[in-house]
Amino acid sequence: MTALGWAIVTLVLAGSGTLVLGLTLRWVDRKVTALVQWRVGPPWYQPFVDMLKLMGKENLVPSTARGTGFLIAPLVALASTLVVAAILWHACFRPQVGFVGDLIVVLYLLTMPALMTMLGASASGNPHAAVGASREMKLLLSYELPLLCAILVGLARAASLGGAAWTFRLGDLVQAQSTWPAVASASGVLALLVAIVCAQAKLGQVPFDLAEAECEIMSGVLVEYSGPSLAMFLLARAMLLALMPLLMILVFWGGLYTGAWWGILTFAGKYLLLVALVTLIRNTNPRLRIDQTMKLFWFVLTPAAVLALILALNGH
Amino acid sequence: MSIVEQSSVEAAGADARFVLDDALPLTGVIRSLGRSVIEVQQCTPRRAAVRIDPERTVEVASALLAMPYMRLATATAVEVRDGLDVLYHWAFEPPVPPDKAGGDGCVLTVKVLQQRGSSLESIANVVPAANWIEREMHEMLGVKFHNHPDLRRLLLDDSWPEGVHPLRKGFDQVLDRPPLPPNRTTDMAAPAPAPSPAMAPPSAPPASGKPRRSMVNIGPFHPLQEEAEFFQLYVEGETVVDVDVRLSFNHRGIEKLDESKTFDQVPFVVERVCGICSASHPLAYIQAVEEIAHVQVPERALYLRTIVNELERLHSHLLWVGLAGHFLGYNTVFMWAWKYREPVMDVLEAVTGSRCNYANCKIGGVRRDMSREQLEHIDSACAGLVGPMEMLTQAVLDDPVLHARLKKVGVLTPQAAKEFGALGPTARGSGLPIDVRRDDPYAAYDRVDWKVITASGGDVFSKAVVRLLESFEAVKIIRQCVKEIPGGPIDAKVEAIPPGEGVGHVEAPRGETFHYVRSDGTNRPVRHKVRAPSYNNIPTFKASCIGLQIPDVAITLASVDPCYSCTERMCVIRDAETRKPLYTFGELVRLSQLKTQHIREKG
Repeated sequence: MTALGWAIVTLVLAGSGTLVLGLTLRWVDRKVTALVQWRVGPPWYQPFVDMLKLMGKENLVPSTARGTGFLIAPLVALASTLVVAAILWHACFRPQVGFVGDLIVVLYLLTMPALMTMLGASASGNPHAAVGASREMKLLLSYELPLLCAILVGLARAASLGGAAWTFRLGDLVQAQSTWPAVASASGVLALLVAIVCAQAKLGQVPFDLAEAECEIMSGVLVEYSGPSLAMFLLARAMLLALMPLLMILVFWGGLYTGAWWGILTFAGKYLLLVALVTLIRNTNPRLRIDQTMKLFWFVLTPAAVLALILALNGH
Repeated sequence: MSIVEQSSVEAAGADARFVLDDALPLTGVIRSLGRSVIEVQQCTPRRAAVRIDPERTVEVASALLAMPYMRLATATAVEVRDGLDVLYHWAFEPPVPPDKAGGDGCVLTVKVLQQRGSSLESIANVVPAANWIEREMHEMLGVKFHNHPDLRRLLLDDSWPEGVHPLRKGFDQVLDRPPLPPNRTTDMAAPAPAPSPAMAPPSAPPASGKPRRSMVNIGPFHPLQEEAEFFQLYVEGETVVDVDVRLSFNHRGIEKLDESKTFDQVPFVVERVCGICSASHPLAYIQAVEEIAHVQVPERALYLRTIVNELERLHSHLLWVGLAGHFLGYNTVFMWAWKYREPVMDVLEAVTGSRCNYANCKIGGVRRDMSREQLEHIDSACAGLVGPMEMLTQAVLDDPVLHARLKKVGVLTPQAAKEFGALGPTARGSGLPIDVRRDDPYAAYDRVDWKVITASGGDVFSKAVVRLLESFEAVKIIRQCVKEIPGGPIDAKVEAIPPGEGVGHVEAPRGETFHYVRSDGTNRPVRHKVRAPSYNNIPTFKASCIGLQIPDVAITLASVDPCYSCTERMCVIRDAETRKPLYTFGELVRLSQLKTQHIREKG
């Protein structure tokens, strides 16, 4: 099969798989939340029928909106998430094959949903969405720096463990950590903790859901979206929920070992633990204000990530 | 009403003109008003009325506001032969000595006559608490004010014709009702209603060179509020620079309605003012009528009234804690608080027959006794609540993120609280120790041991702390009442209501609810004024919200627990396929009766 054929097959398989996985995780999150709150919670297929229903609804474009930007934004958000899904799962199942710098591409593409949310919100012409977009921008500026620092820690650990030069290939990164993952060190643990908090912000979950903040700005950035365009944003988010834990496992926790049954089992355990943390954090915290969020990321998490990086460079 | 002292306008000071009893708490206040006073009526030791010179409204109002422990409760306008009588009700609440169970709280009514063809000087410039009520008297009864800062409409719809005052006796609520405005959503061809001159834009446009101002609407329907209201936040960036409130999307004309009901029917109407304060409103009305008729209420009835009113406070405070959590995105607190609130609702249903409208209070006593088993049921439900409430309180007081979100946010200074006439937890959170239950004791509150909870911060956190700790006091009061309730009759015989006027106020969960009733000796009230606590608390946003960020405003708006006196609306649910109505009224009644029965059997 040609390289293009492989690429298409990977994209379709990884994309559809991540969609199903993301929506299922969405259900797990809602069900667990409901049980914690003494509610019954939705049946397993609820996120799927939600999406189907939205697909069948009318797509309203407000008269104040710039139609093109408003409609393109969710498309780009979904498309870039699909590509991230393809690259990450590819690195899991075929770590030997891959291109140099795929990690950098992933990190770039992961900022696209947030950027597109901002673009779409600004294009909608709604004052609530404008407030939401400004918050989303500040949020992005807050968490990107500590997240990148934390990921550099994973690279540094891989370099010192594998005894090789720094690599920006996910496959090499995983193989370098195959015996001792980055989290088996002080710097790795610290970096993973930082990355977990950053992932919470990237996913827009409480305490960092201020771009939507239902009770203040009525879903903020998404307020004007309806029907299929809303569904695309929500799908992109559901996929991000599936992808962020995967990225963390690849960078810090040794990836997926497909050679034996226990490899798959431990992978599932790590994965569920990271997903459960998202649900746990969002159910035990109130929403932060944007200035408090920025202070937290800049003055607590960024120094922590830098400290982890210094530790990692010194071999700890 | 028995008029003890009355005299004419001849000599110099109030002292020389009127015989005043030095033992009464209001005497010093009346004396200090000096020459402005035309007439004094000392109705009961705790209630007095003075008629003042219509030229001196502002002078008297600023003198009264400057006095310590004095606040404007509300005002009432009444049609009289010579024009309109405006009654400013001032509450005087001196501190309570620690060894006493009840204070010397009084209500001083300042009466001003607005003669036909003249107008009164507004006191809203010196007393912010008078702003809304003067607007209301202006539109509902046609009282003329000059120098009012903002005489826009408050309650009436924009389409309501000018010069038609629905609370006038000459206005018939069926015959004189103006036609409804065309429905703009279904009939787009209908002409847009001309903007009424009374609805001028609320805020002046910003001066040039200032940052761009935009408006963020909270309402008329918004996830922050469970009822229809409309806050317009003027924002620069995320900072709020001005707030305007538009309310009364559901004005139901209860005061007008009461004038057509007999004294005994009114409690059923006023308990529908609010689905939560449905024990406080009837009690305040009943106390006003009992004051007119000089009724001695049996002891057991006083205890029963206390129990229902404290259960109401308990469920209302738990409701607020949940909602506050929801507004902060903390939905776990929301669900947990509401789960623990449910046993209180169940116990209310078991002992009164309804979750919301208890119909247990009547003039002279209560309608329905509680058996020993029912009292035990209440006691065990309250005892079971203490553990979960402690957990919730700990969760709130120890959570660092909640501290960051609530402390020093939306601060209402004690001075502003006094000027706006803030009430209940809103005032107590600002360090004002006012509580009608203690200051002007009613029911059995001076017979049991409890504390008035205050906090000094004035911020949202203080208001939360006050509400949480008050819930523990409520449990304490209920359990003491259950233990100490005396036997005996529950109802005094009331023959007829003599002519006169009375004031009743009750500490509802959100603050003092104030009722004024005037009787002319027939079987219906001539005038019945209802003032719910949120009426005074909502305008405090002008003092507490300016300069805050939008997320802080959201929780500050919620921190006074605003209640827009909700209404039930008619809706029919149909099966989508067969078009058959589901859940008809009869079926709903049957279902709720079944549930009450179920709770009674369980409890």
